[in-house]
Amino acid sequence: MSLLTIQDLAIRTNDLSLVDGVTLDVQKGEVVALVGESGSGKSLTAMSVMGLLGDGLFVDGGTIKFDDTDLTQASSTTLNRLRGNEIAMIFQEPVSSLNPLLSVGAQVAESLVVHGRASPAQAYTKAIEMLRQVGIPEPESRARQLPSELSGGMCQRVMIAAALISNPRLLIADEPTTALDVTIQAQILDLMKDLTARSDTAILLITHDMGVVAELADRVCVMYGGSVVEQGPVDDIFEAPHHPYTQMLLKTLPRLDEPPKGALFAIPGNVPSPKDWPNGCRFQSRCDRPSDRCQTRPLLQGSETHRFACFHPVGDAS
Amino acid sequence: MTLKRFSLSGFLSLWPAWILLSLVVAALFAPAIVPFDPDRQNLLARLKPPGFESRGAAYFLGSDELGRDVLSRLIYGARISLAVAALSVILSGAVGILVGMAAGYLRGWSETILMRLVDIFLSIPAILLAIITVAVLGPGFINVILVLALTRWPRYARVAYGQTLAIADRPFVQLARAMGSSPWRVLAIHILPNIIGPLMVVATLEFGLMVLFEAGLSFLGLGVQPPTASWGSMMSSGRNYIATAWWITMFPGIALFLLVLSANLIGDRFSDHIGDGK
Ligand SMILES: Nc1ncnc2c1ncn2[C@@H]1O[C@H](COP(=O)(O)OP(=O)(O)OP(=O)(O)O)[C@@H](O)[C@H]1O
Ligand code: SF4
Ligand SMILES: [Mg+2]
Repeated sequence: MSLLTIQDLAIRTNDLSLVDGVTLDVQKGEVVALVGESGSGKSLTAMSVMGLLGDGLFVDGGTIKFDDTDLTQASSTTLNRLRGNEIAMIFQEPVSSLNPLLSVGAQVAESLVVHGRASPAQAYTKAIEMLRQVGIPEPESRARQLPSELSGGMCQRVMIAAALISNPRLLIADEPTTALDVTIQAQILDLMKDLTARSDTAILLITHDMGVVAELADRVCVMYGGSVVEQGPVDDIFEAPHHPYTQMLLKTLPRLDEPPKGALFAIPGNVPSPKDWPNGCRFQSRCDRPSDRCQTRPLLQGSETHRFACFHPVGDAS
Repeated sequence: MTLKRFSLSGFLSLWPAWILLSLVVAALFAPAIVPFDPDRQNLLARLKPPGFESRGAAYFLGSDELGRDVLSRLIYGARISLAVAALSVILSGAVGILVGMAAGYLRGWSETILMRLVDIFLSIPAILLAIITVAVLGPGFINVILVLALTRWPRYARVAYGQTLAIADRPFVQLARAMGSSPWRVLAIHILPNIIGPLMVVATLEFGLMVLFEAGLSFLGLGVQPPTASWGSMMSSGRNYIATAWWITMFPGIALFLLVLSANLIGDRFSDHIGDGK
């Protein structure tokens, strides 16, 4: 049975729909990558799983099931029992996501203390151990410092430590490695891989970076304009993407087996912002094969494992 | 932090703090430093000017209409002023901050109810509300504190509310919630320390105001009751002799002025400091 199942999720403000038609699932111990350009609704989807949509944003339909609990309907007591315990999250912005006045050691220890899983002293000792594991040198003295005394990359690792310390069943990681340089990035990715293997933690990994996806993910879920346009096993998606957008995303990846052809491929145009969403397929303004049918909204179709939302999928002659 | 070398101008520019500190010390050690028992009357030494000596003891700031030493009463009066101001600031601050933070964080109906209450309280002139409540409750040390707290908590609630609103959606507060922290824990550990600066500014300015309010109530006979010395009641009883014995009203007046000025200057300094700290 799947650990997390999101079905037809919609998120909106009072006057604007920001996300609609997000359907995805995460199985126990699996890494699912959620990819898509900036503004496609990845963070909003993640925050709604945590029950932490900001002021003025709300879930406007759909379900988010964790085990058998519908998180969109759950009481704050239920959410507080799960958060930082069974579900942990790494936020996108490391520096502003840490309390400026609390030592990083205390912040890493926080979730253990909150859930009464360790005494404050034990939790702090564990926090130091965790800081060491995410590659922070001299963790004993670092633990006593404030976030402002650490670099952005260090803060990123502190956040990762704070999420991993609770040994969650589901880890939601929103761009966990963007602020890090390549060697540290590899180190953190290894750590996350190790974690899933060792303790069966599932990861919903939000990223722009298809290289990271190839490295870590079992399955991929592609978002565009507030909805999921394709999802499937990582190999299928890389080998034979069906949605034109996925195909373009993959072209942005520099390939080792081909010499670079001048500048890296970039997708022409921009993601339409939610207020400019067209009727029908939201990708039509940038698509190379639209037809009249694309004026209606394509639904997810395809096989049980590999689904896409497009009327004229790549490699389809008709 | 660097250790600054001692400099005379730096030392002098801190004078509001020194005034406040010396008043606190004088108040704390009042029994040890006063030349006379503040309540002891001496009908042979009534209305004597500053510097008057009697049997080897000097009335440095003169004596009042009952022959009590003005300096000794001034020092004992500082106890009342400081204690009333400090306790009412603590009480009103605690209530106001709790209300403001709860309204700003919990939102919804608690926000509506609490903030309307704040608006109502703020629209009643504070000194009027204080006078009416003392008239109902009766005067006295404890009642004065309760009354001041009752009239002043909305100031803190306003500031705490605005600050909490500004910070509640910040990512680090979200992260604390993502860790499963309860609302009370989020408020106490993650929000309060981050908004305490502006609240301390309010508290310092309010401290000066509370000193004034207490003096005002005592002046009107609604504060601490005689024979306990308070600056307000000293000025009130000296009022009848202002033409002949100016020192009875003048010295408490000067003390009041200096204390309130110091509190306000410290508050301003505080707020400048917070201003460039961000
Ligand atoms: N509080 C809000 N009010 C109104 N619009 C919002 C709000 N938060 C996000 N949005 C809009 O919702 C859309 C999706 O935002 P989201 O943060 O989920 O994107 P994202 O996929 O995470 O992008 P990025 O890769 O840049 O992090 C964006 O167009 C954004 O402008
Ligand atoms: S549905 Fe039409 S417009 Fe949308 S991606 Fe497919 S072909 Fe392009
Ligand atoms: Mg995002």
